[in-house]
Amino acid sequence: MSDFPDFKLSATGRKVALSLVPVICPPEYVQFADAIVTNFELTISVSPLLLRKGVSAGFATYDLGALPRYRKRAHKLTGEDAERYFSSWEHGITPLHVQFARALNQLLSLGCYDVPEVMEAIGYRPAPWIEEVTRKRLTVYAADVRKQEVQILAPDPLRPGFRIEDVRRDRKVGA
Amino acid sequence: MAVARPALIEGVRPAGVFTRHDIHGDTVLDCDVVVVGSGAGGAPVAAELAEAGFDVLVVEEGSYYQTRDFTADTSAMVRQLYRDGGATMALGNPPILFQEGRAVGGSTVINGGMSWRTPDDILERWCKDGLDVSSKSLEPYFERVEKRMNVAPMDDDAIGRDNWLLKKGADAKGWEIIGNLRNQTHCVGSNRCAFGCPTGAKQSSLVSYIPRALHYGARVYANVKVESITLHGKRATGVVGHVSLPNGGRGPSVTVRAKLVVAACGAIHTPALLVRSGLSSRSGQLGGNLSLHPNVKCVAIFDENVTGWKGAHQAFQVREFADEGIGTFAAINLPPSVIAMSLPHRGAQLGALMDQYNHMVLAGMLVEDSTTGRVRTIKGRPQAFYQLTKRDTQVMQRGLSLLSELLFAAGAKRILLPFHNAQELANADEARRLLDQPIPPSSWEVVTVHMMGTARMGVDRTQAVTDQFGMMHDVDRLLVADASLFPTPIRVNPMETIMALATRAAGHVIDNARRYLS
Ligand SMILES: Cc1cc2nc3c(=O)[nH]c(=O)nc-3n(C[C@H](O)[C@H](O)[C@H](O)COP(=O)(O)OP(=O)(O)OC[C@H]3O[C@@H](n4cnc5c(N)ncnc54)[C@H](O)[C@@H]3O)c2cc1C
Ligand code: SF4
Repeated sequence: MSDFPDFKLSATGRKVALSLVPVICPPEYVQFADAIVTNFELTISVSPLLLRKGVSAGFATYDLGALPRYRKRAHKLTGEDAERYFSSWEHGITPLHVQFARALNQLLSLGCYDVPEVMEAIGYRPAPWIEEVTRKRLTVYAADVRKQEVQILAPDPLRPGFRIEDVRRDRKVGA
Repeated sequence: MAVARPALIEGVRPAGVFTRHDIHGDTVLDCDVVVVGSGAGGAPVAAELAEAGFDVLVVEEGSYYQTRDFTADTSAMVRQLYRDGGATMALGNPPILFQEGRAVGGSTVINGGMSWRTPDDILERWCKDGLDVSSKSLEPYFERVEKRMNVAPMDDDAIGRDNWLLKKGADAKGWEIIGNLRNQTHCVGSNRCAFGCPTGAKQSSLVSYIPRALHYGARVYANVKVESITLHGKRATGVVGHVSLPNGGRGPSVTVRAKLVVAACGAIHTPALLVRSGLSSRSGQLGGNLSLHPNVKCVAIFDENVTGWKGAHQAFQVREFADEGIGTFAAINLPPSVIAMSLPHRGAQLGALMDQYNHMVLAGMLVEDSTTGRVRTIKGRPQAFYQLTKRDTQVMQRGLSLLSELLFAAGAKRILLPFHNAQELANADEARRLLDQPIPPSSWEVVTVHMMGTARMGVDRTQAVTDQFGMMHDVDRLLVADASLFPTPIRVNPMETIMALATRAAGHVIDNARRYLS
């Protein structure tokens, strides 16, 4: 099912996001950086317009903001420098910096733990569980399930004796 | 003008359901009653009126999904079923993140299925304002809703270990804990309620009221966003909208001519729809009176393997502190991505915490708010504003302290609190001391899924937007039938109250059919 819009970060935006994966995600999952950033894009694609615009603008500012101190754009920072630069946003020059760092932390963490290999690594395997319990419901409780399906459609008028045809006919006669 | 035609592939969708794929040009439709929104309010009205013989047409902005579409892919489900991917904010300090469903079935498709009648003391309060909503007069409507959605206690073997731990903690403290009533037929604990029930057990509007409405001849138009209600003088005559496209764009226009218009878009979108239509209320309450049941959560980590994702969530509710405005405590499991997102940690620290995912119990509490916010319509879009009061943050702080005590009594080893500064508790003494700590409002991570009250009902048109059935004061043929109607917050989960009021409103329309069909 693809029932939602595509949102793609700009080439630079994607580079910034990729450079933030080692800062935000656990080291053992940095190998999934591409998938994490793709998940990030998918999440942004359905976010409120303001957030989408904010993320694009925020990435540009974040990228260039590193120049004065590191003489490099943020997406080229690695290791300690990348960590220190992100931390300076986290602890905030302004509340907007803090908010943006917080949002990046949230969205990349979300993207990280949505990667199937990461879910598997921490022991979260919902698909087989869903399959198992669905089967149980449709076998063990089949009769009750069917009963409820019938009940949902069974006539049960809110006003017994009410017949809309009578109302329509009366209306025509009375008109 | 093109005419909509039924689904191309028979059997994929039931007869009577139309989507964007069926509307190939500007379309005009006629009916007796057009219902805008298909959630907890809209679907029961549609089913009741269709069964009574009205020609009902439901218009829903979201898509039509079926049980088989609900998979284990959490983020795909969120993108499809939640408005704005679940990232909508009420502005204030702190901002409050809120969630709404956008699909046929509305928020009932993604809700937890807790089904509770309105507490008696709340109904008494509403009666004092002149409304005829005593528990006795609402009894037949509650009964009807409970039957339709099969409201029942959980099967024990479907309850998750996290919930048994909550019960163990409450029992150890001697606090009142009750089994939850939920709209389900043999829920088997897949723990996916918030992402569309993949087993069909949860009796959301999608699998109960909507099939019933279709069975009795209603038509459902999914992927159609209503822009405004059409008016002839002070009389509502239908709606105009457009097909909403996957990229957020606008498709062909859809006009529905009707004898009665029902606004059931939820407490955020109903006031916006009315304002977009040029309507106002002399009460000044349209969009006002927004209550939210502010909600906070904490994560408790246990030595034992909890595997909270196996088993139904919120099987119990602790109601011990209702008198203090602390609605309920409950255990709610969420997928790892959602928990990781809510933690302020990052890097190796985040990894170390999340490695304990299967040892976590996520527990939450909701507060009966003492203040109200407002939904403003800015350039046609709703924006909620809500400022938590000092009293409510104090109640949250006390609630969190008590909830943490309970979790330690159940055996928790540490508890992560919902503050941006990653605060933790290591034992019950620290939980009690939490009460003395100054916590600035901006530190709180507050969320909600219960938005209510923005077109409140009441007998006095200078105080309320609608009459006691939801008919808008000073406008003819316009019924509001959703969470907007609540005069006050209700302290418990709102779905059943919304449905009972909607059923009662349908009864009112049936009783006055002659008038509404003219
Ligand atoms: C995650 C979650 C968990 C919850 N858990 C529980 C629970 O366990 N128990 C409980 O009692 N309550 C719960 N709730 C709350 C409950 O589901 C809602 O209060 C209830 O569904 C609100 O009913 P409603 O009719 O007001 O709006 P909704 O059910 O939200 O329906 C409104 C519908 O209108 C549509 N719409 C809006 N604008 C337009 C437009 N312009 N044109 C066409 N369509 C439009 C929307 O897409 C939506 O489908 C939960 C909610 C959420 C989100
Ligand atoms: S726990 Fe699973 S089976 Fe039970 S109602 Fe929720 S989604 Fe359906």
